Amino acid sequence: MPEYRGVHGSSGATEDRRRRGRAKRALPDASLDDALNERIRPMRVAGRSGWWGLLAAVIAIGVVVGIAAPWRGSANSGPGLIGAAHRMSIGLKLAPGNLDIRTQSGAALDQILIGNVYEGLVARDGENKVVPGLAESWDSSPDGLVYTFRLHRGMRFSNGHALHADDVAWSINELRARGYQDSEQLEDVSSVTAPDAATVRIALKAPYASLLWVLTGRPGLVFDRRAHYDRATQAVGSGPYTITRYVPNSVITLQADDRYWGARKARTARIDVRYFADDTAAVNALRSGDVQVLAPLTQSLAQPFVDDPAQYEVKVGEGTDKFVLAFNGTGAATSDLRVRQAIRYAIDRRQLIASRGGADAPLGGPIPSLDPGYEDLTGLYPHDPAKAKRLMAETGHDRAHPLRLTLTYAHIYGSELGDQLRSQLRPIGIDLHVEVVEFATWLQDVYTNHDYDLSLVDHNESHDFYLWADPDYYFGYDNPTVQRLYRQASRASNPQDNARILAQAARIVSRDAPADWLFNYRITTATVKGVQGFPVNLNQTLLPLADVTYTPGKE
Amino acid sequence: MNVSSHGPNRGALPGGGSRMFSRLRRSVVRMCSGARGIFSLAVIGCWIVVAVVSRFWTPQTLYGTDGYHAWSAPSPDHWLGRDGTGADMLSWLMAGSWTDLVIVVLTIVLAALIGIALIAAMVSRARGVSGVVTVAVDALISIPTVLIALVLAVPFGASIAVVIVACGVGYGLNLARIARPEAVLIARSDFVESAVSCGASQAYILIRHILPNLMSTMLVQLSLSAGTVVLAESGLTYLGIGVPSGVPSWGRSLATSVRFIAIHPMTVVWPGLVVTLVVVALNMFGDLLRDRWDTGATRDEEDES
Repeated sequence: MPEYRGVHGSSGATEDRRRRGRAKRALPDASLDDALNERIRPMRVAGRSGWWGLLAAVIAIGVVVGIAAPWRGSANSGPGLIGAAHRMSIGLKLAPGNLDIRTQSGAALDQILIGNVYEGLVARDGENKVVPGLAESWDSSPDGLVYTFRLHRGMRFSNGHALHADDVAWSINELRARGYQDSEQLEDVSSVTAPDAATVRIALKAPYASLLWVLTGRPGLVFDRRAHYDRATQAVGSGPYTITRYVPNSVITLQADDRYWGARKARTARIDVRYFADDTAAVNALRSGDVQVLAPLTQSLAQPFVDDPAQYEVKVGEGTDKFVLAFNGTGAATSDLRVRQAIRYAIDRRQLIASRGGADAPLGGPIPSLDPGYEDLTGLYPHDPAKAKRLMAETGHDRAHPLRLTLTYAHIYGSELGDQLRSQLRPIGIDLHVEVVEFATWLQDVYTNHDYDLSLVDHNESHDFYLWADPDYYFGYDNPTVQRLYRQASRASNPQDNARILAQAARIVSRDAPADWLFNYRITTATVKGVQGFPVNLNQTLLPLADVTYTPGKE
Repeated sequence: MNVSSHGPNRGALPGGGSRMFSRLRRSVVRMCSGARGIFSLAVIGCWIVVAVVSRFWTPQTLYGTDGYHAWSAPSPDHWLGRDGTGADMLSWLMAGSWTDLVIVVLTIVLAALIGIALIAAMVSRARGVSGVVTVAVDALISIPTVLIALVLAVPFGASIAVVIVACGVGYGLNLARIARPEAVLIARSDFVESAVSCGASQAYILIRHILPNLMSTMLVQLSLSAGTVVLAESGLTYLGIGVPSGVPSWGRSLATSVRFIAIHPMTVVWPGLVVTLVVVALNMFGDLLRDRWDTGATRDEEDES
């Protein structure tokens, strides 16, 4: 049983390679950032009485400290560190459509609500491992068919209602009965019951190795059945934060719940989460001090912050985003294994990664490093243009008689990848025609009608190996051995067997070359100096903010 | 045969298509005497030369991407540096000038054809046709070019044809609307009336009398539109409905680098500068053509008298 680490374990961080040897952290009693302070308390500054002016004069460091004094006082009384700001802003990219996590899809909702406002029976840490959530411990029967969870005592929702085992059972049963988002992940569950106020029992029809991981997401969230609120614009959960303001596509304000039941209370009283669809606006917001954290941003855009380590920190976190260059398994040319292999040998993935700023990790197969079954498969198809040329020559194509293929992908990934792939495939005898289209067009042509040669998509979900075991999915990849192994893996009664079998299946998939995994996209997060505890791993789907603090540094 | 060559209408002259072109030639020659004229003709000339040269030679191959040197600074091999894929900026800009030239020429041709067809319908003697077309042009002119392009891009995807058709239709309507009053005036003039009375067909009148007299208005309007086409190409490509990925164009060079304006500003400046220069030159050319044309027309009269 893992040690109790609060509802959401802290995330590990891989510090940016270019910036080892971090400068000394700002002292806790440092004066506050004047610009930030100016912004937060404009009214007080404006209505300042002579007393404050006198104080400022006495301190003789200037108005900056004069403002800082009262502010620090209030911060001390709060839950945060001494000297830590009472309030901060973070900038994210994709805004949720609304706040109804039961019916609205999109990772943006998981990101903002899970672990902050709503809590699940179990939670995930920054390494994508299951850690205790509302349940402090659990065990499973030897046949893997019954899971028993023991809940924490004295839990309550932010509205004061107590949280008992029957709330948990009700929430999960409601999800299954009404078919809320992700309910299909609980298909194998036969019943969820609450034998007593602190115990939840989940019985399965068949062993299901991913059950615990699935319960860290939406299927495991616990709602207050006695609360009445507009789920699209409000959220009432048991987490360390409540939502006090929601402006669609713009701002969500999280207010710390002082009466939070858990040990891991929010350390910053108020966090404004702002959404920037436009990258340039986001970068400007960080630069001007409107936000103290920005995630994600591309490595190229992060460069000015990397170059200014006195004021900013740039970290790169692990994620489960896989940039999949899929080859249509039922396509005229791409059903030929030699063509698919030739493409895989021809692509110089290190070069693609370098052009994107060097943060992303090479990925040789369908399972990323944070998922069970990961193995380094980059050695299966190393960059080998000579071999690629030979394979294409066998199919009767060379530079003078190229094979014409079309690559279709959504414009959100930028035109650069298509341009580079075209250049890299040209010498081996493939004339790649790149069509950068609207996402809706991609959905229609590629995803629905399977009408494509090559497609490029960022498959960002974790635990999504099942896509390769589904012959009807747009990949058109049909290998009975992989399908059998996948079934076997999901029926495994323990995580080790599950991972072992998945690794075996992933190796077969990669060898069959139904796609090339260009890279594992890693998330770049930039913060101003003095921000601590911001999760960097997986932070586009999982962003527990309870530990985040901001201690404005000395300027 | 020139029944109406001594017609009383001084503003509109009957017949004489070849005289129009000689007058255009003289106007262009006169332009070369002014600084603005030299500038605009030099820029347009350079553009055409570079566009043609880029068909046979560019400093680097267009497909020479090099991810290890993306965004690298200018060097002897890469005069303007490299873009986000590591390809040579200068080569892409040079190749883009051909695409833009093709788009401008085809758009102007299409706009002229549409404009002439609409003018023909609007001065038609069939009341029903001219009335309906005039109202239709007035209504359609309110639809922005971008909207036409967006609608076209849904079924056809981003392509050069979308830019040409959207701009061609938009500017053709504009041309017809602007030229209509003058066309109607000419159609009602005495020399046209006398030609009709001699049994001239409608097509003959259109080609022999109306169009030559509209030439100055149309040329000025079309040359001003040419500048707008370059801007429209950049704008539509930036929106993802113009020139498709992989085809060089100035708009594409702008669109791919504008996201990084804060980090690599020069990669935005170069295509931006090229677009600005060409648009200014085309607009200046249009303005001068209008100015000189009027003066030229007067001098022609003087020459004749």
